[in-house]
Amino acid sequence: MAEEGGADAPSAVLFRAEIARVHEAVSAYTGESPSHIAVIAEPFAGQQVMMEQITRYYPHRVTHLPFYSVARNTDFLDTMRRTEEIVLMERCHFLALRRVGGFAMLDAFLDFLSMSEKLFITGWNAFTWSYLNAVVGIEKNFPIVIRLPRIDDETLKAMILSRYDHPIRFVDDTPVQEKKRVSIQQRLVSVPFLDAPVQIPWIAVDTENTGSGRGDAGDAVFNRINNLAQGNYGVALRIWERSIEENTVLMSRIPALPCTVSLTIDEAFLLTIILSMESISSADLEAIAHPEIDLALVLYRLRIQGLVEEERGYYQVKPEALHCVSAYLKKIRMVW
Amino acid sequence: MIEFVPSEITDLPLRDIDLGTVFFILYVLVIAYLLVKAVAYILKRIAERPGQRRMVFTMLIPLTRLIIYVSALYLILQAIFNPTVSEIVALAVIFGAAVGFGLKDIFADILGGIVISFERPYQIGDKISAKGHYGEVVDIGLRATRILTPDDTLVSIPNVAVFSEATASSNAGKTEMMVVVDLFIDHGNDPELAMAILKDAVVTSKYVYVSPTCPFTILLEDFPFYKRVRAKAYVNDLRYEFEFRSEVTRRTWREFRQQGIAPPRLSAIPPDEQASD
Repeated sequence: MAEEGGADAPSAVLFRAEIARVHEAVSAYTGESPSHIAVIAEPFAGQQVMMEQITRYYPHRVTHLPFYSVARNTDFLDTMRRTEEIVLMERCHFLALRRVGGFAMLDAFLDFLSMSEKLFITGWNAFTWSYLNAVVGIEKNFPIVIRLPRIDDETLKAMILSRYDHPIRFVDDTPVQEKKRVSIQQRLVSVPFLDAPVQIPWIAVDTENTGSGRGDAGDAVFNRINNLAQGNYGVALRIWERSIEENTVLMSRIPALPCTVSLTIDEAFLLTIILSMESISSADLEAIAHPEIDLALVLYRLRIQGLVEEERGYYQVKPEALHCVSAYLKKIRMVW
Repeated sequence: MIEFVPSEITDLPLRDIDLGTVFFILYVLVIAYLLVKAVAYILKRIAERPGQRRMVFTMLIPLTRLIIYVSALYLILQAIFNPTVSEIVALAVIFGAAVGFGLKDIFADILGGIVISFERPYQIGDKISAKGHYGEVVDIGLRATRILTPDDTLVSIPNVAVFSEATASSNAGKTEMMVVVDLFIDHGNDPELAMAILKDAVVTSKYVYVSPTCPFTILLEDFPFYKRVRAKAYVNDLRYEFEFRSEVTRRTWREFRQQGIAPPRLSAIPPDEQASD
């Protein structure tokens, strides 16, 4: 299927079906009326891995143009005019900023896209995509929309273990669990004025010991991590890094991810922005917050609640808090 | 008077009302009251947890209240009369007469409460307009509905109003609610720029909710002395109705000033129109 390059890296096990759809679209691309592609993913879900694979497949046909911060002017359009026939744009959520006048770069890009004969493969944050779809109907510009799925335990195991050139020891040291099983049984009940007892359905709870047959400790560890990460590679990786010590992973050391969030509307709004942009500078946050919201106070509150982290002036949701944050923001309808 | 009362009533096996019966009745009333309060409290606490599903739980409150009070009434009647079916029918006749003679307003309100519980023209948490008052429904009692107005006044509206007057519910049991924001600009301004700014202010608001069933609209209308730019959009939680309107207005005017969009000139508006504003 791949016409150029190769895919020998361990990451090649990720998103095979999705990459096959990209190959299909590239094969069908003839230079006229290109079917632009949008790749949608949660933060940390491995979109970058997929983009790198596409670049490796088509080293001479693809120009890789990632955004690293919010686009302030249309210089990127000039760059696009000088690219190869396929333009791979990562982190396109940086084209829009949630403020008055914040859609100008996105509008310019979409205008360019509609008139260009080049094929655009664009990467978007899933929360920004939902927002832009509701507000500007962005999906109309991309005939092919690929949503990155959750990864399974096997893939996660292969991906993580490929990072090590020595064996990892797994120990399932958790206590044997009692498993409760709910079943519906029939019970005979005597009813007044009726000669025979009546049979009625009855919910019964059986308790049985299932600890005798433990499976492979490694599989159990990756199953636990993947359940906590909900199939998100970046989140799983963070949990893994917090679980491994001296080349050994104890099941009991896999951290639980407690989720208690209580935010004001301003805090929830800026958390939505950070979640939607994946990584955003304090200057860009200030452009959104000023003068309505006290940014320093909100960021302080988000940090002490363990929801965001800061690195070199850029803020992002902590990977381990991702699902807690997104569930909370969905509940209060900040993300849709 | 007594000849009009059916014989079933005059023959009711009225039990001796001793101190024990009085205590039992008081006991039933207190338990029913506490149960109603406890159930309402628990349901309201549960309702706050799932966010957008808040209304599903709050609508159960008036219904459970009705069931508890009817059960309490039945127990009290049992304690006093121990009535048979025909006696209950006879009691209903007396009850009807009492309603006809003087308690009709109270019973009309109670009947209104029952209708509200089952038909649900509005429910707790809705924003409604009734009898000239607008606010959030905080309680639907057996006799009256209480709404909290934007200026924090608790207004009791008799439940009978549901039969006699139109009651407008702004959100019809949903968490989101449409909010209209009107801004007035001078004729000399660029209306398309004004609409674009208002649109941005709406869709970037921290209170907005947009979906296929909750779209937003920006409208322009010409008036003799000004243009009106109107936004219709949904607030994500009706409790933020006024904050949403205020935030959009504030941010839009800030951008209007930066872009040189001016409000209508007072000199262009006739004095009588200024007074009416």
